[in-house]
Parts: sequence; C-alpha cells; structure tokens
Amino acid sequence: MHELKIAEDLKDIVLEAASKGNLKKVTRVNVTFGQMVQIVPEIFQFAFTECVRDTSAEGAEVTIEIVPVKMTCNECGTEFIVKDNMFACHKCGSADLKIINGRELFVKSIEGE
Amino acid sequence: MEIKIMKNILDRNQNRADEVRALLKDKNVVMVNIISSPGAGKTTLLERTCGELKEKLRLGVIEGDITTDRDAQRLKKYNIPIVVINTEGGCHLDSHSISKVLGSFDLDNLDMLFVENVGNLICPSQFDLGETFKLAVISTTEGDDKPAKYPMLFREARAVILNKIDLLPYTNFSFESFRRDLRKINPSVPLFSLSCTRGDGLDEWFEWIIDQSHK
Repeated sequence: MHELKIAEDLKDIVLEAASKGNLKKVTRVNVTFGQMVQIVPEIFQFAFTECVRDTSAEGAEVTIEIVPVKMTCNECGTEFIVKDNMFACHKCGSADLKIINGRELFVKSIEGE
Repeated sequence: MEIKIMKNILDRNQNRADEVRALLKDKNVVMVNIISSPGAGKTTLLERTCGELKEKLRLGVIEGDITTDRDAQRLKKYNIPIVVINTEGGCHLDSHSISKVLGSFDLDNLDMLFVENVGNLICPSQFDLGETFKLAVISTTEGDDKPAKYPMLFREARAVILNKIDLLPYTNFSFESFRRDLRKINPSVPLFSLSCTRGDGLDEWFEWIIDQSHK
C-alpha cells in the first residue's frame, strides 16, 4: 500500500496549490507515474479520495498517465523501451544503462474552479 | 481553470534523504537499507553479520518494525547501538523517520549502519532513506518469481541475497529460473546464495560486506 503514503503527500501539494491559485474546488488532478513504481490506478484513486475527504479537493478525479520504462545505453547511446523486464541494450547488449523514464511520481497540474 | 504544478510528489522525502546521505558521507558511515518480504531472514542475517563483523567494524542498527521490538531484542546480545522505529502499521520506513533517529548514534564512531526495513518488497523500494545502497534479501520458500514481479528493487539493489538454500530440496524453487530473471533485470549484481541458519555461503557475504566499508 505505498499508494496511501504517496496519496497523502499528493494531497498536501494539491491543497497548497489550490489555495495559492484561489481555487475553491479541485475537480481533477493530473499525475504521471512510471511503470516501475508499480502504482495500481484504482487503489491510488481510492486512497486519494479518502485523503481529500472534507477538503476543497473532495471528490476530485485523478487522471493517471503511466510512462513506460525507458533506458539509454551508456556504451552506444541507444535509447529503448524496456519490455518483459529485459534490462539490456537492444543494439549492443550492454547492461550499462541509465534510466530516463519509468520512475516518475509526478504531479503535472490540478483543475478546478 | 488549470494550474500547472510540475513537481515530484515525494519531494519532501527525497530532500530529507539527500540531507541524510550528505551527512553520512561526511561522517564516512555506510548505510545499508535491507529490504525483503516478512520472514525472508533479515534479522537472522543481521544476527550472523553483526556476530562476525562487530570486532572488525563499528556497527549500528536501525530496526523498522510495525509494532514490536522483537527483532531488536534478538540483536541485543551483540552489544551494538540499536534504535527501533515503530511504523504503527506503516508498511515502510521513510527518510524523515531515519533522520530523526540518526541523532541517537555517535556517527563519528560508526562505520556501518544497517537499516532493517519493514518486511515488504514493494513499498520500501519507493522511499529513499538516504542509504548508501539497498540490499535485497529473498528466500527459497517465497518462490523463484520475485525478481520478475518486483523489478524495481532487484534493479536498484547493490547486492542480492538468496537465503534458506538449505531448504531447496523441500521447495519447488528453480535456481536457474531465478537466476535467469535476476540477470535480465540486473546483469551484474552480486548474488549470495546462503543459509543463515546452517551457515552455508556466509564467508563470501562477510568478505563482500566488509569490503563495502572501505569504499
């Protein structure tokens, strides 16, 4: 249930941004999660809904964009998407890789009125 | 109306983890974040490791436990500083809880600090504690599919321990399948196959972990 702790931290960020931006009601929260972080969208929405009960974000929907795991090869510079847990360069086979995407826990924006 | 935020959700945890890491680096303390399922053998591994290393290195332990101090009780006999963090139901430690207890240790007189995280393969992997490295522990009785199911931990661990190899004959654990999955995810990670109760494979592990304190 790492969803709950992440939802709690998201709540604080959302409420602070809403108050700064003079939003009376938050209706939507747009987030990006990397595939590697293994967030279950339904559980996350449930956890967030519980966290924001009785706040200006009560009932807000979370739109979750899941980003695939993308690596770049430190040997030959090839960029590729990791499929089937295969962490080796698609071109040269090297295992010396750097992660570009896939570990995100990122809040992009909130919507409301 | 839309308001742009563009922020990492776990920034607060990350910032504190960065402070912890900088402090430990300054004090030359290696912090090992031990992650496994409940019952994989983290505490038994620590008992063995503290028993062997306590004359060679100045050790400390942070015990993450949901409600009890039973794990800490088992380590008392080694006479090393131990601090318990009860997460009160929380499924992982975070950098704030670590930062709070670091003051209980004399960091100037410490070489290595083991953190026994709460037994769980997924949540602890997401929360940086400011550790020097993560150590993944799994046991043969859990099944050979753990790397494939929890790639993030096995990708980011600096070493992997496969415990309870003495029980291999009584399980359907396929070492070949486990190794193949692990190598796909993390081709170069050191793998130590051992039995903490019977003692198999421990010498190689001790040698490696002592070596980490000199880096």
